[in-house]
Amino acid sequence: MIKKAQSYMLTLLIVSLSLNLQAQNSVRFEKYKTNAEVQKSLNDLQQNSPNRTTLHKIAESPGGEPVYVLEIGKDLKNVPAIFVAANFEGKTPISTEGALYMARMLLDSVSYTRKVKWFILALPNPDAASGFFSGIKWERSVNSAAVNDDKDDQLNEDGPDDLNKDGLITLMRVEDPEGTYLISGKDPRIMVKADPGKGERGKYKLYPEGLDNDGDGEINEDGIGGINLGINFPHLFKTNAQETGLWPGEAPEVYGTMKFIFGHPEIAMIFTLGTSDFCIAPPRGGRKGGVNMESLRVPARYATIIGADPEKTYTMSQVVEMFKTNMPARGGREINSETVAGFLGLGANVNPLEDDLKFYKDFSDKYKSFLKTKGVTTERMSADPDKDGSFELWAYYQVGVPSFSMNLFTPPIISDQKPGEAASKEAGIKPGESDDREKSILAFIDKKLNGTGFVEWQPFNHPTLGKVEIGGIAPFVTSTPPPAQIDSLCRIQLPWLLTLSKKLPDLQLMKEVITDLGAGVYRLEIYVENKGVLPYPTAMGSKNKQPAPAVVVLEGENLEILEGYQRSPLGDIGGNQVKKITWTIKTDKKTLKAHIDSPLFDATVKQIKIGG
Amino acid sequence: MRKLFTILAISLIAFTVVAENKGKVEIPLRFDRYYTYEEVVEALKLLNTSYPQLTKLDLVGKSEEGREIYALTINNPKTGEALSKPGVYVDGNIHGNEIQAGEVCLYFANMLLTKYGENDKITKVVDKNVYYIIPVVNVDGRAHFFLDAQTSSSDRSFRVPRDDDRDGLVDEDGPDDLDGDGNICMMRIKDPLGDYKTDPEDDRLMIPVKPGEKGEWTILGQEGIDNDKDGKLNEDGEGYFDANRNWGSDWQPAYVQNGAGNFPLSGFGVKAIATYIHQRPNIIVNFAFHNSGGMWLRAPSHKDDKVDTRDVAVYDLIGKNALKITPGYVYQPSYDLYDTFGDTDSHMFNLEGSYTFVGELFMRSQETYRENVSKPLPPAAETESSSARRGGNPDETRELVKFNDYLGLNELYKSWKSYKHPTYGEIEIGGWMKMSSRLPHPFMLPELVHRNAMVVLYAAEQTPEISLEIFEVKEIGKNLHQVRVRLKNEKGLPSMSYKAISSKLYTQDILKISGAKVIASGKITDLRNNKISYQEHKPEVIYTAVPSFGYAEYQFLVEGKGEIAVNYSSRKAGSLTKTFKF
Repeated sequence: MIKKAQSYMLTLLIVSLSLNLQAQNSVRFEKYKTNAEVQKSLNDLQQNSPNRTTLHKIAESPGGEPVYVLEIGKDLKNVPAIFVAANFEGKTPISTEGALYMARMLLDSVSYTRKVKWFILALPNPDAASGFFSGIKWERSVNSAAVNDDKDDQLNEDGPDDLNKDGLITLMRVEDPEGTYLISGKDPRIMVKADPGKGERGKYKLYPEGLDNDGDGEINEDGIGGINLGINFPHLFKTNAQETGLWPGEAPEVYGTMKFIFGHPEIAMIFTLGTSDFCIAPPRGGRKGGVNMESLRVPARYATIIGADPEKTYTMSQVVEMFKTNMPARGGREINSETVAGFLGLGANVNPLEDDLKFYKDFSDKYKSFLKTKGVTTERMSADPDKDGSFELWAYYQVGVPSFSMNLFTPPIISDQKPGEAASKEAGIKPGESDDREKSILAFIDKKLNGTGFVEWQPFNHPTLGKVEIGGIAPFVTSTPPPAQIDSLCRIQLPWLLTLSKKLPDLQLMKEVITDLGAGVYRLEIYVENKGVLPYPTAMGSKNKQPAPAVVVLEGENLEILEGYQRSPLGDIGGNQVKKITWTIKTDKKTLKAHIDSPLFDATVKQIKIGG
Repeated sequence: MRKLFTILAISLIAFTVVAENKGKVEIPLRFDRYYTYEEVVEALKLLNTSYPQLTKLDLVGKSEEGREIYALTINNPKTGEALSKPGVYVDGNIHGNEIQAGEVCLYFANMLLTKYGENDKITKVVDKNVYYIIPVVNVDGRAHFFLDAQTSSSDRSFRVPRDDDRDGLVDEDGPDDLDGDGNICMMRIKDPLGDYKTDPEDDRLMIPVKPGEKGEWTILGQEGIDNDKDGKLNEDGEGYFDANRNWGSDWQPAYVQNGAGNFPLSGFGVKAIATYIHQRPNIIVNFAFHNSGGMWLRAPSHKDDKVDTRDVAVYDLIGKNALKITPGYVYQPSYDLYDTFGDTDSHMFNLEGSYTFVGELFMRSQETYRENVSKPLPPAAETESSSARRGGNPDETRELVKFNDYLGLNELYKSWKSYKHPTYGEIEIGGWMKMSSRLPHPFMLPELVHRNAMVVLYAAEQTPEISLEIFEVKEIGKNLHQVRVRLKNEKGLPSMSYKAISSKLYTQDILKISGAKVIASGKITDLRNNKISYQEHKPEVIYTAVPSFGYAEYQFLVEGKGEIAVNYSSRKAGSLTKTFKF
């Protein structure tokens, strides 16, 4: 009977295993998935590993589509988690595919999921993502929130129109005495800005393909939607700008994402698949602003209260001390660097901190070698710079964890151009060099896409502009490779993110040293090591105090702590670094216990033997 | 018989206790007392059921601890739908301890409803506007302020736990009511090396020792023990989450703006109220009541934010009159106090286009014990600090203690009593109690609520009253008429703020002609010299705004015959239609 049951169980196991594989394989990467297909893939992945996965609905888009996070490793506790998000801007379907591909790789793997939990947000912006699949293709990045872009008396009344009926929204060029564009001498398909300094005078005006549907003199100024989720996050949020939303997190998809992430303090790293690429180059520096905490001035208003000289500069800790000494307690609120930063009106950090740039640079070098080992030798056009209000910047600055973004596809730089002519190796193509950039794109279209992807300029009789020509680079050409490449692009590049997952900080109680001082009094030293490459937290995380503190907790019967505390916060601990905590204790017992209290590190209780 | 007597006696005692301690909630509401959270809800429900024609009670949302946040709408449906009228929004008590802010809101509602139809001034403002009143934003905070031991400044926070001392535990070491009197007072210890000595004029007070003098006391801080045994006292109390730093306009994270919360609108009540307000785009003026210090604060709230001088003029109209209605207050931009980010007033002014005032209720300088009060002592410079209670100015402190003795029924100041502290040993506990310092004693409350509510009433009187006049119709060709229209505002609030116009917050007021073809239209920039600035596009729609006590004139060239309608519609100033025949 027992044997029978066993074999029955075994059969069941085999059946379920094979089912599992089958279903995992049922998520295929041969074409771009519609919203419904993405949802189905997520459901399939979840249902095939019900013991390991959960689907969390974190929001509903204004267009009525659900937004899901797939949790892989729901059975894991006291492990760090990695949040993988893709395609906030909705116009890079390859990144949504990449997120699903990651999920499939992770579900097939043991090595990357044994001690790390993963959260996958593959399709945060379903409203915008539908733009790729609509009858008329256009690069939509806004959700379906009711936003009256031109603040007139109608909503969404003047979006793009497919005038030439080719199913694509491209450009219109029209001869106009006030025009600022010329046809490029390098390639007649390219329009370039005339340079009056070189004696050039513009001849054409450029418009997006469409009509002035509402007769206000503007073309396509109020299409469907909405808020661009890729610029609706709080870090460097732009108020009163196009498509950013009224306030950060106004979009329910963004609000839901932030709420989910702050609801999971175990999240220790964030990956973003989209338009920027922090694997290649760190978050942008060189922004104006930011504060040097070592050189602060105290405004006169406070200087008199705390006895500071408004002409002199002080360090943050000096100013905190002066406030503590000279200002009475404030209703239970402690005077600390946060409150003082508030008094002094210090702003937010806007440039990545030096200490963090070290690991960004190190990993960037390693990533380039990694790509070489994968046989990737072709140079490609550089990824977009990070955008103010983007998810990946918010992850670094406000969540305070290592944030790595990856752009899975930009057009290759075709070899008959010398690198540097079309694009410099590191910096890529600078904005403004639009004809060079377009020339590269056209070379890619000609050589790799057999010319599809460029709509030849064709005359069209426009109702308000008169004789125009419609043409230009088709939407999605530069961001979305042919579906046949999805699988290989993901297979080659995404494993780097798996590699990065092995760099997570990993705090462990390493060893302890006990010195018997006599009469039941001991000195106890516990060494905690970070076995990971990454620090905990990052310098930015240390500054914004968001990452959950790791605390060494000492417990024992009849334990009296003469020096030190039962709960000792570890503070910052660098990658591969060791930190020592010292106590003087008194006990008549032979053992005591210690563990690390943290939502993301190993909390195994260690028995410590004292004396004989 | 004897049993019956006992029952009667018990119920009598019970009744007396209720009557004395709480007072029954009835209409008209009384304002010589403070309402608990539950009583505020009861009062709102009672106002709603007593005035069903004029009021509507909405559940706006629920707090972190599940308490209900209510909004009372006062609108006379006979004079129009709520959304068709200018909206006046009033809230209070976003900081849990600032309870009298709730009473101001209740008083304002009570006044509008009980005097409607009896007092012409009230009847008029009720008929012209709609009022949205949320007396208690921080419902958990208000509840806990009554329920728990507090200082007068504690319990500001929303119930969003935060690990202030970064030890992996949240809110584990707040102050403790060691002597069980319902107050968090101060602790002091005898110490010859201390910085303070007993005030020779009043032995309940301490004054700082001068250099060379022998000390007597060291102040140990707020009543409490080291709950988490980390060597620090009271370093991780409730929150801290300041709901008035959690709004969307210029929100900054907590390392920049203390109390900001993890992300904008993360507080349940903040999100709920932001949504509630966003759904009522007719709101044109906001009041948010706080304590204390006696101030009317307006935008901007930080130095990098700028307010158009024309908007400042509108603010000044109300702010400068408010100074006379509430003597002793100051009126100033909020950043003059200190920079804040993510506060309610910026959100309402910058993102919802509503003129917003913060009223900092109550001045301790009104707690007088003195023959001549015509010259009040200068108000404490820092409102959020409790500097006054520890004798920033010894004379002021002595007077405040006398105020407690002769007017405050000893309900404000606690004399020092010895206590055996687990860490410090023999200490003393005493000082200012929960209901002191930032709250008027109940006997002073009626005047406070009335004066401050009257400022709201004045603003309500200044909501735009727009008239539409077709002041010239002239035939200038076959079937072609020149039609001139004047929009005039009789009141001080413009139909749209200059901030809203310049940042293109929403569609401006619309002026339209229907029933005929509009050939051209434009603004009359100089009527006497007949100067018109014609629109290049869409002549049938004119986007406009009507300034404070001002007017705007437009000209239409219209082709057609018969009846023509001129329609004006505004998000915040209502809509009007006039018809005429050629």
